[in-house]
Amino acid sequence: MAKLGILVQGELDRLRKYNLFTATTVVLLLWVGMTWLLEAGEVTAFVPLILLMDSTMMSSLLVGATLFYEKKEHAINSILVTPVPETEYIAAKIIVSVFNSLLTFLALAATAYFLKGVTFNFALVAAAVVVITAFHALLGIWFAFFSKNFSSLLVNLMLYIIFLMLPPVLADLGIIGEKIARFFIILPPDAAGTMLQAGFATVPLGRLIFGFVYLLALSAALYKYIVLPGFNQYAMRETGV
Amino acid sequence: MFEVRGLKYKYPNAQDYAVDGIDFEIRQGEIFGFLGPSGAGKSTTQKILIKLLKDYQGEILYRGKKLTEYSDEFYQDIGVSFEMPISFSKLTAMENLEFFRRLYKETVDVEPLLRRVGLWEDRHKKTGEYSKGMKIRLNFVRALLNNPKMLFLDEPTNGIDPVNGKIMKDMIREFRAQGGTVFLTSHIMSDVDELCDRVAFIVNGKIREVDSPRNLKLKYGKRVVRVEYRENGNVVSKEFTMEEIKTPAFFELLKTKDIETLHSGETTLEDIFIKVTGVALHG
Repeated sequence: MAKLGILVQGELDRLRKYNLFTATTVVLLLWVGMTWLLEAGEVTAFVPLILLMDSTMMSSLLVGATLFYEKKEHAINSILVTPVPETEYIAAKIIVSVFNSLLTFLALAATAYFLKGVTFNFALVAAAVVVITAFHALLGIWFAFFSKNFSSLLVNLMLYIIFLMLPPVLADLGIIGEKIARFFIILPPDAAGTMLQAGFATVPLGRLIFGFVYLLALSAALYKYIVLPGFNQYAMRETGV
Repeated sequence: MFEVRGLKYKYPNAQDYAVDGIDFEIRQGEIFGFLGPSGAGKSTTQKILIKLLKDYQGEILYRGKKLTEYSDEFYQDIGVSFEMPISFSKLTAMENLEFFRRLYKETVDVEPLLRRVGLWEDRHKKTGEYSKGMKIRLNFVRALLNNPKMLFLDEPTNGIDPVNGKIMKDMIREFRAQGGTVFLTSHIMSDVDELCDRVAFIVNGKIREVDSPRNLKLKYGKRVVRVEYRENGNVVSKEFTMEEIKTPAFFELLKTKDIETLHSGETTLEDIFIKVTGVALHG
């Protein structure tokens, strides 16, 4: 893992140079501003929602965006012929995504605490943000493998969110019964929502533990069976094969 | 440096082998040209040699050890210059080089290299503002960054003006003079002729010829001397075999006629390329 630090530093530099960091900072400032404007009671509902969006959709999009510009500029070729294992290259992308999500978490937590006097289980939410982001960063890499361009990636991610978030919403509206709704925790966005919610309200311990174990297991499987084997093929396609 | 035996490679879902049982070696300290028409298997072979494609059949030895037994540390030894620009466009040339420099154990001072290829003055420019030629020159510097023992150069002078092309060719020759080995693919036959110690022609995944450009010219060229002279206002052309030029008839012609041109029948590498690969047949 000797090169990991260099790769992470490189990723962060490029996020800054390609203005992706600016874009995420602007969005973050918007969330901070909105948190500041809300009542203390509303903050506990708003913050987990924003963290959910940031750790899922935003993480997938950010990692997808970096892969697309590297693809466009053939930069993956150049990295693949350096003494950097693919595992470290992928790990660097996940670490940077987690770092960005934790920045959002810290900014929102600080705003909630210092400006609104709202406290929540900071450690639990931070842990949830790490696990949810890691899974969705891997998901973003996988989606980039088969998305033709950034717009196609965006559409695929929207479909993922809509289809997997729709059942819990229908359950909340009473359209789907409680018996079936209990199993929606196997949908990653629902598991993620449960994990984040646990920092702000009481959530059954079993569901919380299941959420963490489930997303960790899914991340490991996604990495081992899809992202790592698929990465070489993706990179080769990018080199014109 | 490299020994390749019975190398075969088929892309997933492809019916035919892209590389179909080829054998060749790349000797230490030589510039080895790998030539062939588009889709012949050149790039596939190069990607296998630089460990980008892995599921091949056959055996490849690098410095006497199986290529598959090398870890990613193999890349400490080699430098690769791709045909297409490969830099991060929003980073300057120096920022690009600095990022890659940190990934290697041993690196060289980039200033002399950048000065030599004429990029030193533009080193703080974003590479997105570079011309294609500048980007290719930067690729070349990037390939030399880790002081490699072996260079893989894909069309290194394509899109480069003659002055910079000459500088790069000089640098390639200097690299060889210092003991470096080069695997070169190019469509510019004059460059191949100038640079390569040996060349291989690959067609439909199979190697048709491997030899020095000189030997290939002897093999495919006509052993004749053609003389053009003016007689009664007309240009007359006459060919003499190598045996005939030793005869008095040849010298008599030189002495008595108004000679305009005198050519050997040596063929060009371009003609050999066409003959061997059959590119002309396919138009």
